Amino acid sequence: MREGILTRLGMIAPAQGLIAAVIAGPALYLVWLSFQASSYGSAPSFVGFSNYARVLGDAYFWRALGNTAIVVLVVVHLELLLGLLMALLFASGIPFRRVMLAIVIAPYAVSEVAAVVMWRFMTDPDVGHVSALLRAVGLPMLEWSVVPAHGLVLVSLLSVWLHLPFTFLILYAARLALPGEIYEAARIDGASPFQAFQRITLPLLIPAILIAALFRLIFAFRLFSEVWLLTQGGPARSTEVVAVYLYLEAFRYNAFGGAAATGWLMVIGSLLLAAPYLIRLRKAARDAA
Amino acid sequence: MRRSPLVTLGKLAALALIAVWSLAPIVLIVTSSLKPENQIFAVPPTLAFSPTLKHYAALLERWPDFFTALGNSLIVTAGATVIALAASIPAGYAYSRFQQGWVQGSAFWLIVVRLIPPIVVTLPLFPLVNALGLADTHLLLAILYATFFVSLGAVVMRAFFDQVPRELDEAAAVDGAGRWMTLIRIVAPLGAQGALAVAVFVIVFAWNDFLFAFIFAATRAKTAPLVLSEMIGNFDGVDWGVLFAAATVQLAPVLAFVILAQKHLVAGLSAGATKG
Repeated sequence: MREGILTRLGMIAPAQGLIAAVIAGPALYLVWLSFQASSYGSAPSFVGFSNYARVLGDAYFWRALGNTAIVVLVVVHLELLLGLLMALLFASGIPFRRVMLAIVIAPYAVSEVAAVVMWRFMTDPDVGHVSALLRAVGLPMLEWSVVPAHGLVLVSLLSVWLHLPFTFLILYAARLALPGEIYEAARIDGASPFQAFQRITLPLLIPAILIAALFRLIFAFRLFSEVWLLTQGGPARSTEVVAVYLYLEAFRYNAFGGAAATGWLMVIGSLLLAAPYLIRLRKAARDAA
Repeated sequence: MRRSPLVTLGKLAALALIAVWSLAPIVLIVTSSLKPENQIFAVPPTLAFSPTLKHYAALLERWPDFFTALGNSLIVTAGATVIALAASIPAGYAYSRFQQGWVQGSAFWLIVVRLIPPIVVTLPLFPLVNALGLADTHLLLAILYATFFVSLGAVVMRAFFDQVPRELDEAAAVDGAGRWMTLIRIVAPLGAQGALAVAVFVIVFAWNDFLFAFIFAATRAKTAPLVLSEMIGNFDGVDWGVLFAAATVQLAPVLAFVILAQKHLVAGLSAGATKG
């Protein structure tokens, strides 16, 4: 079939145009901006790497980066573990499968803001039901507005709750795609269910696990709304994450150069965190080929 | 194979635990929005209560803003869905049918660019948006939401179009139809499932997003999550009842939609994850 180059261009132009105008173009401008001293009412001037130096020398940045790394690693690995267990449970045959699927997916529909309303209420030290439960069994309260570590625990819980459906669905779809005959064969050969999992299911699911991990690591690194709506990074900037640090630099302190540098450091940080999985995935793809 | 009752029991217990984890926060908020004040804080939560709509009445009276914002959310979500589909469908078709290196390379580029976090582009977009007079408009939010799902949209559409036999394209060409005509009349309707999957992603994102609305909407284009966040921030005593009513109104339509469209969500996710 013959068609002009114009047809091909025309078909990808809307998508590429949006991406160029909204993401790629601004990102390029951001590179330039990160080498300028810029704020309201002053013309930008070239300052070399000093924005990067300033951000990298800022203790608040490192704390934000540390908080982000901890929360992201905990959240993503918890999700992978729970998602995998749930995928195996669902695949093993369960009653009310359709209803259970709808129930598990439900949090996917909840906005970050509504989720914050729910979890703030449940963990409210005075009136929350989770607080009451913790008190009843003699566990310490979750004092998320006072104790920074507790704030981050709540942020992590909230993130897992919101994103587990996504992780679960990827793993579940991958598990369903495995042919049943292998398990039949394994059973005939006398493999126990655990051996079947260890020797068959897990190795075959590795690519899906790696993809889910990559998706979630990169996306979780953007964590902003949950933290902003719960603690605004406080008390005393102790629960800040990188995205909140960037927001404050840009829109509160009007340090555009510093914010731009933070933006690029954020992209690099998320890629570094994802790098081990990316390398594993490439290796898995090579082995399969 | 016979299962021991112990295994069945364990499974049921695990399922119950999963259901509580997933649903308890949602159920608590929805039921509490219908409870009189003195029962909202009862421990354990009361299941038998006489429902009241007074929190909804209070919401209407004290936060008229919230209902305007719901309207804005609806406009922005509809706009984002139309833009995302209009861009993803032809792109998905091109990536499915044209094998030239530069075409396929541009598909990879769509994915790579998507690694840049949304908050990073808000900063450079800010002056641009102001210069174009797009600040605080529905159109701007719709474009932003659509753009961040165009990459996934194109990948999902490609996966679905790959299932449509090429013989149909060739037959259409013999009949004299051009590529665009072939796509619109023949191939796109057969990929409707994929379009639905893309629509689910965009609708959930656009209806629920906080970040872009927080940064780019001030008054005219305020969306429902933004007003909801203002209610939380109202620190001189949170009025939980009204807050629950608002959260329920914001949540209910999209929750119902996701449950109805569950099948498409799953299909889209597997297409997006395995091919992307």
